[in-house]
Amino acid sequence: MASLAGTTISIASRPWHSLPAAKEFSSLKSISFSSIRKSFPAIRLRPASSRLQICCAAKSDTLEKVLKIVKKQLAVPEGTAVTAESKFSELGADSLDTVEIVMGLEEAFGISVEEESAQKIITVQDAADLIQELVEAKTC
Amino acid sequence: MMGILFSRILITPIDFVGVVTVGGLEMENGVRRWLVNISQWNPSEAQFASVISLFRVDEQTAITRYIKFEDKKRALVSRLLQYSLVHEVLGIPSDKIIIHRTAEGKPYLKNSIDFPFSNFNFNVSHHGDYVGIASEPLCLVGLDIVSITTPKQETELEFINNFSPYLTALEWKNIAHAGSSEEMLAEFYRYWCLKEAFVKAIGAGLDYGLCRLEFHHTNWTGVSVYIDGVESKKWRFSLSKLDEKHWASIARGLPNKANELCCSDLSLPELGFTFRTVEELISNVN
Repeated sequence: MASLAGTTISIASRPWHSLPAAKEFSSLKSISFSSIRKSFPAIRLRPASSRLQICCAAKSDTLEKVLKIVKKQLAVPEGTAVTAESKFSELGADSLDTVEIVMGLEEAFGISVEEESAQKIITVQDAADLIQELVEAKTC
Repeated sequence: MMGILFSRILITPIDFVGVVTVGGLEMENGVRRWLVNISQWNPSEAQFASVISLFRVDEQTAITRYIKFEDKKRALVSRLLQYSLVHEVLGIPSDKIIIHRTAEGKPYLKNSIDFPFSNFNFNVSHHGDYVGIASEPLCLVGLDIVSITTPKQETELEFINNFSPYLTALEWKNIAHAGSSEEMLAEFYRYWCLKEAFVKAIGAGLDYGLCRLEFHHTNWTGVSVYIDGVESKKWRFSLSKLDEKHWASIARGLPNKANELCCSDLSLPELGFTFRTVEELISNVN
């Protein structure tokens, strides 16, 4: 309880005028999830070392990792076949799940996903392809 | 001209079955708010199969594509609500009803409808134990249901933090000041519910830019929306508590060309929800 109260206080005391105005961001065509998130109390920190580890990661590794994150977020029953072709909607993902999955992927791979790109992710393969693209653009 | 005539008809009080009495005649007004509690429907495999078979093959395929049974159930009940409502309100025989989906996945009626229902539209939502539908003859309508679920893999605050790009500073502040972590979670879900109802009413996707919307309210009544910092006079919202864990929001807005002065629809009080059972809907559709 004490730690929770501490966190609440830290949010309240952060002066809004020192943070980028929400309006500024909303006028941009594509908004990076993590750039706005940094303005708020950062509870999740991305370790820099993970970037070195995933440089030049094989495509199948990426897919495996994505499948793991997706299955966990969507609480897919054990033994259910989830493949690269599985659609997020068919796995039962709603808008809340989609946001969480993208956040989870950003953290796991140390990348930033634009809202526009996130919208285009229909299948697990789409997510893996996007991540591969972003990781390669960043590290290679 | 016709639009003004129609809006005058609607000024008379609406009773909960969605008809108005005008000069002794009962007239359909196209407004519905239905909910089904799916935790109360537990069909056997055979029963489920027989209900699915009421629909055309394309709808059956869409339902069975869901992997989890609960999602199949929600998809089926959602369609039962859609077909049942369209049949009841517009009188189209069930087998003639054609419902398509937009690129964003929003269902809409493909059949062409004459005045006074040429702008008839509906919206469905499901989350947790409830599947719901809302329809309007003229205003755009959006419905969203949220089931407040304690996050399993993170704290409430960590969970809410995921959604900070979608909240304005004021909303974030209100959430942070809501009290315990459970209260903060509920506060977040209420804001999310309203934002979703709006986005669904206009048929946009997740890329709309939910942080452009700021909801103002007095204890969650008198809800209004500020879009890009400007209060919108074209939208009304209501938020209802369905039970301890579920809330539903309705967004009602004037279609683009409608002037708020000529259309009194928006000022009408929000209709409450009617609970329907799966059995009722099945017999409606049959």
